[in-house]
Amino acid sequence: MKKLIIFLTFFLLSTGLQAFALEVPTVSKDELKAKLGSQDMTILDVRAGRDWSSSEFKIKGAIRAPGNKIAEWSKNYQKDQELILYCA
Amino acid sequence: MDSLILQTKHSFFLSLALGAGWLLSPESLVITGNSSGHMTWLTLPVLAIVALLFGLTARLLQQPQLSSRKGEEFTLLAEFTGTIPATALTIASSLPLIVLSATALLVTSGYTFNEVFLYWFPNFGFAFLLLAILTILQFCPEKILHRAQIFFVALAAGGLLSLCLLGFVKIGGATSQQVAELPTHFSWATIAPLFLLFAGSTLGSNRERPFLLPIAATVLFALWIVISLSYVTPDRLISSTIPYMTAARKILGDPGRQIMGAVVISGTCAAYTGLMLAARRLLATIIDSKSGSQLFSIKMQRWLLPTLLALITAILMATGLAGEELLEVLLRAALMLWLLHHIFLCISALVWLKKDSRLPLAGGGATLAMVAALFSLFISNAEHTKILIFSFSMLGISTLLALIWLTINKRRNHSAKEQETQ
Repeated sequence: MKKLIIFLTFFLLSTGLQAFALEVPTVSKDELKAKLGSQDMTILDVRAGRDWSSSEFKIKGAIRAPGNKIAEWSKNYQKDQELILYCA
Repeated sequence: MDSLILQTKHSFFLSLALGAGWLLSPESLVITGNSSGHMTWLTLPVLAIVALLFGLTARLLQQPQLSSRKGEEFTLLAEFTGTIPATALTIASSLPLIVLSATALLVTSGYTFNEVFLYWFPNFGFAFLLLAILTILQFCPEKILHRAQIFFVALAAGGLLSLCLLGFVKIGGATSQQVAELPTHFSWATIAPLFLLFAGSTLGSNRERPFLLPIAATVLFALWIVISLSYVTPDRLISSTIPYMTAARKILGDPGRQIMGAVVISGTCAAYTGLMLAARRLLATIIDSKSGSQLFSIKMQRWLLPTLLALITAILMATGLAGEELLEVLLRAALMLWLLHHIFLCISALVWLKKDSRLPLAGGGATLAMVAALFSLFISNAEHTKILIFSFSMLGISTLLALIWLTINKRRNHSAKEQETQ
């Protein structure tokens, strides 16, 4: 019983922390529409492989930056630059 | 032995449906769209020639001197290469193709369903749901499976045909300037992918009408190529990853997308079921040729094989292979292995017929053209090292499986003989 309580505590803590980590700023469709064409913002399409090639919906002007190669492309952008990433 | 799976005489519609699965898949539509962008109007005669070559090789394999042989294609191949290489090549050319094409096509169907029909339905959820339905279908009696295959093929071909007709009506029957435009790229590298359209078509059960499928495919694709070039620029067809959807949207707007959505999903079902039926038939011929247990044969092809392949496909989808560029390379390699197997079958037939001093020149020429196409596919692909590694790995694993199976079979036969003598 003791082991079970310890396990559940760890499980809840780890999932709880994950939930906090997932809190990233998001933009709505309308907010993005209003920003389109702005020089200060870059849209990155993070889909790769079939996820990208099978999709009909691709934002015009978006740059392909596969999510599994973040280390490679993240160097090309400054930390204060506004980047909008989309995957669906 | 499950007699139905080895049956070679089928109705007209079933003959068409068994071989046409892969032909109507979204992958084939991408190959056709990109090729028509590269070669414009020249795609039509090239497609007709490729179809003719497949018809000639299918006719070569159904020569009366060969068709009387037990186990059909497999026995023919085994006599030329030996049992283990023949078993290995047969497994390596069919099973990886099913798994990889299923992974790719199901994900494409998932995206299509999500973007065309129901935005709120998760694309991956649909891909897994479709895989489950198609796997359950494999457990059904052959009659139901064959009817389902006819339905999938009819739906995909009907959708494509209706889009062509509606497109012609909309432009008043006149084709645009783009059809008459000169091809921008015309080489072996742009011709060779068209050979991959016919994957699995000759592995079908049709032995009586070798030219039926090539003629039907040429007519349907010729209409689609003309209509695509009438509505979409060649540059757009080359650059698009979904040229079929681009053309459908241009032809009919949203209703066009919905018709194409149905074509993509039914084409995926047709490709999976068609390739699976072909693989089951091949497996049955391998087991039959070595006098394997009848019960083992039926269990293997009806339950074990579809379950195992669906499980591997599900694992590949869940681990995100569809989101990797590697999938495209592996799928291309699997298709090339299929072409290699077909070439070996043709060479085996030619060698056998030569013993009878009856070498069919047309069949020999068609085989030679396929060797050239395979070589071109390999050379023109930037990832040929990965293709080689994958191909040899698959052949190696298949050889190991063949050795294990032959050993089990030998022991089983030995113990059966011992029991008989006792």
